[in-house]
Amino acid sequence: MMREKYWRSLEEWREASAPDRTEFAEPHVEIVSGADRRGFLKAAGFSFGSMMLAGCSRTAQKIVPNVVQPEGFIPGRAVYYASTCGACSAACGVLVKVRDGRPIKLEGNPDHPVSWGGLCAVGQASILGLYDRERLAQPILQGKTASWTEVDSFLQARFDEARRAGGVVRLLTGTVHSPTELEWIHRFLKTFRDARHIEYDALSSSAILDAHTQTHGARILPRYRFDRADVIVAIDADFLGTWISPVEFTHGYVASRSPSGTRYAWHVQVESRMSLSGSKADRRIILAQSDLAAFVNDLSDAIRTHNSSRAEVAEVANRLHGARGRGLVICGLQDIAVQVLVNRMNEALGNYGSTLETDRASRQRRGSDRELAGLLAELRDGRVDVLIVAGANPVFELPGGEAVAKAKLLVVHAERMDETAAKAHVISAASHWLESWSDAEPVEGIASVGQPCIRPLYQTRSWLEALSAWTGHPKAALGLVRDKWRQTIFPRVKPSVAFEQFWEKALRDGFVQHEPIPGARPAAVAMREMELPRTTSPRDGFELVLYPKTALLDGRHAYNAWLQELADPVTKVAWDNYACLAPGAAAKLGVAAGDMVRIECDGHILELPAVPQPGQHERTVAVALGYGSRLTARFANVGPEWIEARPTLNPKGLVGENAAPMLAFDRGLLVYSRSGVQLSKIGKHVELACTQEHHTLTVPERLKPASGATRPIVQETTLTQIRKAGERRVTEPPPPELWPPDHPYLGHRWAMVVDLNACTGCGACVIACQAENNIPVVGKDEMRRKREMHWMRIDRYYSGTPDNPQVAHQPMFCQQCDHAPCETVCPVLATSHSDEGLNQQTYNRCVGTRYCANNCPYKVRRFNWFEYSREDRVANLALNPDVTVRSRGVMEKCTFCVQRIQEAKIEAKRTGRQLCDGDIQTACQQTCPAKAIVFGDLSDPRSEVSRLMASKRRYRVLEELNVRPAVGYLQIVRADVPDGEEKEHG
Amino acid sequence: MNSRIITIVLAIGLGLSCVLLAFKLGQMHLPGNRQGYSPAQPIAYSHRLHAGEMQIPCLYCHFAAQTSRHAGVPAASVCMNCHKEVTASLGALHAEEKLAASESRKPRPITSPELQKLYDAIQRNQPIAWARVHALPSFVYFDHRAHLVVGIACQQCHGPVETMERVRQFSDLSMGWCVNCHRQANRTGVGGARVHASTDCSTCHF
Repeated sequence: MMREKYWRSLEEWREASAPDRTEFAEPHVEIVSGADRRGFLKAAGFSFGSMMLAGCSRTAQKIVPNVVQPEGFIPGRAVYYASTCGACSAACGVLVKVRDGRPIKLEGNPDHPVSWGGLCAVGQASILGLYDRERLAQPILQGKTASWTEVDSFLQARFDEARRAGGVVRLLTGTVHSPTELEWIHRFLKTFRDARHIEYDALSSSAILDAHTQTHGARILPRYRFDRADVIVAIDADFLGTWISPVEFTHGYVASRSPSGTRYAWHVQVESRMSLSGSKADRRIILAQSDLAAFVNDLSDAIRTHNSSRAEVAEVANRLHGARGRGLVICGLQDIAVQVLVNRMNEALGNYGSTLETDRASRQRRGSDRELAGLLAELRDGRVDVLIVAGANPVFELPGGEAVAKAKLLVVHAERMDETAAKAHVISAASHWLESWSDAEPVEGIASVGQPCIRPLYQTRSWLEALSAWTGHPKAALGLVRDKWRQTIFPRVKPSVAFEQFWEKALRDGFVQHEPIPGARPAAVAMREMELPRTTSPRDGFELVLYPKTALLDGRHAYNAWLQELADPVTKVAWDNYACLAPGAAAKLGVAAGDMVRIECDGHILELPAVPQPGQHERTVAVALGYGSRLTARFANVGPEWIEARPTLNPKGLVGENAAPMLAFDRGLLVYSRSGVQLSKIGKHVELACTQEHHTLTVPERLKPASGATRPIVQETTLTQIRKAGERRVTEPPPPELWPPDHPYLGHRWAMVVDLNACTGCGACVIACQAENNIPVVGKDEMRRKREMHWMRIDRYYSGTPDNPQVAHQPMFCQQCDHAPCETVCPVLATSHSDEGLNQQTYNRCVGTRYCANNCPYKVRRFNWFEYSREDRVANLALNPDVTVRSRGVMEKCTFCVQRIQEAKIEAKRTGRQLCDGDIQTACQQTCPAKAIVFGDLSDPRSEVSRLMASKRRYRVLEELNVRPAVGYLQIVRADVPDGEEKEHG
Repeated sequence: MNSRIITIVLAIGLGLSCVLLAFKLGQMHLPGNRQGYSPAQPIAYSHRLHAGEMQIPCLYCHFAAQTSRHAGVPAASVCMNCHKEVTASLGALHAEEKLAASESRKPRPITSPELQKLYDAIQRNQPIAWARVHALPSFVYFDHRAHLVVGIACQQCHGPVETMERVRQFSDLSMGWCVNCHRQANRTGVGGARVHASTDCSTCHF
């Protein structure tokens, strides 16, 4: 019994075969009744007679135009506005698709110098945050809804009192890099005698900023240029998933690792748990969390002395030396001494100025943990008179965050009733970023505009308007942004046009680039004797590592159903957080996936289900942040209501458990790991919504051929193999077939190529597809039953041993097979083949036989077992009007965004021009930060997809079945292994 | 014997209903088909007057058909392009002039009652909720642009709207009717030019 080279779960690894689990293989209950067949048919025949063909007449519809049609507004035509995403502090540029006066889809702005057209899963999902019934619709004054005039007069009275009495006023926000907001914050706080603005990040990079004060004389976060790196050493930094600016970093990373390019970067990840970046690394060094500082120490020594006693450290140091000025060492540890060493290393290797930019530094993380700790201390001592919290949720995110309630007056500017707003005396109802004028400066010298695309749905205010109102000069935010740009940014751009023209162009482009605000150019200061990182002797027991998930980050979007339903890229679990354990540790503890464990650390207790995670260190237990938020109480009724439905929420009425109380401040820095953690098995079991074994493409045990041949679903190659003569593949003649040649493809022929080497598994494509195609949310129970509705899924395969496996991510969706096994078996021809190569699904014909899904070898067809769509007037404003909303009993699947294809073809006909390559972009392709998906016309020999289909790396999944899929995959490129470590290829 | 009588009665009844049905069968439609549907509108707008007598082109008001999937119905501001000046029909204006002359006074400005509804709605900033005549089910994505660009006249599908006092659905608008025209157009072309009117499902269903 030969072991599959790729396995998706530990169960599969142990049993060397995939469990036969598809949603359509459930055993059905036999219904035994008294009637026999003839009796039934007779009864049916008689009831035919009573059938009335009166039928349903359609209800009268109304067609309602505007009173005055706005200029350029045509119903049914989409308009795109450039704006800046406000879902996190990375500030990627977006294009907002607006239909009928409201935004329905977000895309990356292809010209934006931070995101280059990509948009992550969180950004794609943030459209749901706009159309949310649970947003605060009005400001709240002392527990009762009030009007803005009442709130303003109340606050002015209290602010004036504080001004007179010299009261202590503090403003607590997340990272603010918007020039206009900073200006108005300054103006507002200036009116008080003792007022300060404290910025913090729940996912803090404070140590890096503070370390640069010591090494470079300025508190900066360098801009990491992965596109210039040939050697990437990441220590506890998930830069592709959640660290600082993942879209930007992914773009740069993929640019440096192009198999057809002249250089190919080498990436080593040093960490204690399997992160998304770790899953892409050429080399993973697994260490206990407490040993990471020592690693940095050893690496620093090795770089200095060109020698090391540890083989792996020596290898990394050698590589870095071989790439002077083109290496990049990054570290996410919250320890200033460690970060100083990292800075010294980068300086010694000449990386500053090329892979680390300090003169145009990043502003995406500016939080100061030291100031935050100071504020919390002030609050605990009761010394704060007025505390304003805006765009942050300290009660949920911080250990000891409840101290904010001790302020004499707590004003919270928030979009919904989160934990911090619940403790406020005054809640200023905030507008969503899609409703607000604002700006952003994610990197020094790049000023990005934030345009609203809809009038505020409720009586909310943007942060700028709130500040200007409280300063006593209420003005609309548009005026404030324009004034700031006219005064500060316009002069720096030095254009040759007047301000109005400059402003119009800035709105159209979405950003401007200008000379950075002059200041001291950071330069390395003379080396001073630094204290070495304190190598604390590890306490007994486990080490707890707290990490953010790619979908939820710090938990600010916990209300978002799409993000909750997105399966984690590594563990493939959704709707929960859990305790990740190394397989060996789980076995020793006697827990399997879903068994509850208790984590105890310094008096704090967490009870979570365990998930064995291959590739994790034995002594590490990893728990995700961002769960257990009161914003998740709304998911009590998510999913269909039927007799066997089980709740999505846990017994506490929330999704997951809040792990933030386990965070701690250590020497003024927020640290994300604890040692001396006790782990014990509770004995309870919960069933997790884990998709890793859903829709397996491998052969079930009972059907395997005697030879034990395995299916090459994921294929990999090495750089040497690629660089061997010939990039083009040898075209083999297609295997013989019985099909008549009835698909001549005289016109377009749509096809797609997915580069598995570029794909990081981040899941942005999954959410983009959900947004574009009106895919419903089904809830945790339906996900347990393998009924998740995502048309696109990312299959995650491991290879090697569970101790340190290699990981492969493979996006899987309808392959639009030429000889589709689903088309032949539909009794009503609801699925058929189009003249252009698409396998089309006609929802109105489908009767729900589900034979097509049974036949699909890729298991990509999704069936609506229930009426998953909901009657929610506000949330349904986000629906795409160009795609049918499917009801119960209908099969659906990826359509290659046929609505976009149709729109583009008709527009081309209308304007009389030919369709060019790149005119049609599927939703998944458009959002991918790594540009791993390429869609196009195979009939056009010059299209990108034709070029990639001819690539040597291209293969088709399950090619041996001869279904002729229109989707090609490019093999993953693995690092060449040194001689003596040959890996077997299954 | 009883069963024989029952059989004869049933046969006669069945035969009678078949004969009656035969006449109706030609006019029977599937439920939901609204050929001939002509609902009352909030304002008795007459296409016969505007499109027929005045010869205003269809695309003057329904301009969206050129650039969007939906032809739409014009906003009240389009009506006001003319009706900020024209407040009543010519006949009514002449009648008022004659009356004024006979009463030796200046003619008063008069407003027809239907136009008064328009002015009231605009004053209240309330859009006019027209009754939709041509409505396809929500799983059909018909696109006017593709049909306009090959030169199909509006009347081909919408009938002689310029003769209709009140708009009615002239054509069948069933899927069979659409597909027949597509097949025909592929064979004979439109206006002398060859066309490719796709009969793929995903042309209209997605």
